Amino acid sequence: MTWLPYAVAAWLFAAGLYGLASSRNLIHLVGCLSVCQSATYVLLLGLGYRWGSIAPIFYDHPPGTPAVDPVMQALVLTDIVVGATLTALLLVLTVQIFKRSGTLDPEHLKPMRRKGDTR
Amino acid sequence: MTPRLRLTLLGAALAALLPGTAAVIGRLPEFGATIATYGERINAIVPKERHVANMVSAINFDLRGLDTLGEEFMLLAAITGTVVLLRGRRGEDMTDRAMRLPGRAILPRSEAVVLTCRLAGPLLMLFGLYIVVHATVTPGGGFQGGVILASGTLLAYLGEGYSGWRDVVRSHWLDAMEGGGALLFALCGLAPMLVGAAFMQNVLPFGTFRDLYSGGLMLIENLGVALAVCGGFTQLFLEFLEETREADGPDEPGEDTA
Repeated sequence: MTWLPYAVAAWLFAAGLYGLASSRNLIHLVGCLSVCQSATYVLLLGLGYRWGSIAPIFYDHPPGTPAVDPVMQALVLTDIVVGATLTALLLVLTVQIFKRSGTLDPEHLKPMRRKGDTR
Repeated sequence: MTPRLRLTLLGAALAALLPGTAAVIGRLPEFGATIATYGERINAIVPKERHVANMVSAINFDLRGLDTLGEEFMLLAAITGTVVLLRGRRGEDMTDRAMRLPGRAILPRSEAVVLTCRLAGPLLMLFGLYIVVHATVTPGGGFQGGVILASGTLLAYLGEGYSGWRDVVRSHWLDAMEGGGALLFALCGLAPMLVGAAFMQNVLPFGTFRDLYSGGLMLIENLGVALAVCGGFTQLFLEFLEETREADGPDEPGEDTA
């Protein structure tokens, strides 16, 4: 079962990607992007894991105890913070799109359409 | 483009990427067998060299501090973008109620909710502060603690209502916290250069291992991150709630701040 974490990451990414491609609602689209992003958390933490290791915090355990990879954990922390603010920014864009065009369906968005053309 | 055509295109693109992806996945290290040498060396060296117990904080604020500075400004840019996009001609009236939909009945807030929020709010803020100041000792740090502090302010919204929340949380303070935190982080990088050290070199005394004061300059950078994250996330909550407030709606009599 050593491939299971990577398989979970791949499955999460694929599910998110399918949602991104087939989405009919911009809020759903932002949610799918978050699903894709959570695949990266699983992948990074899986890459940094080692059986029988402690968390890379040497408070209860003396330094020198085998610990998992701290670089991956720092990366995931960065990933989460940036992801949260990015989700907020995308939702704001969604709000503005709804205000301007009155729809949340990307199919009905025609940014290049001339004014007055209602096709 | 029809949805079917788009999915077919996606399938074709994935099929083209598949051989390369499969090759990379095949070369991945076996799960749980070993970790990268870089992380291994950090675990071995940093506790002695920086007197810090939390390796993740040590990476974020010292070893890869420059990256965190970049992330900090990314955060600042995303939040600035959000605020700029949302703050249009909408007023800054603080007495109105948020989350109001036309036709939805307004239920008075239950006393149990008020009591729970008043009890849990200060405790949550205290917990957030604890997470922030123990960044170099136990799990936590400026990012995590800042988000907890920002959620603590939301309890004030739940317990006291929108106008009560807006009385406590002032938008320009949040701007100052957000920008000031990022500035503090940048100054932590520049200040060592005044004494002839490199950018963001840890010139302060490292303190005692497993003590609240450990890690030197990391503590100040951590404080800057906490300020920026707390201010930024509260700003996001405020802007989104403000967006749900009905602009220029008529005041309904008797609703007050129940």
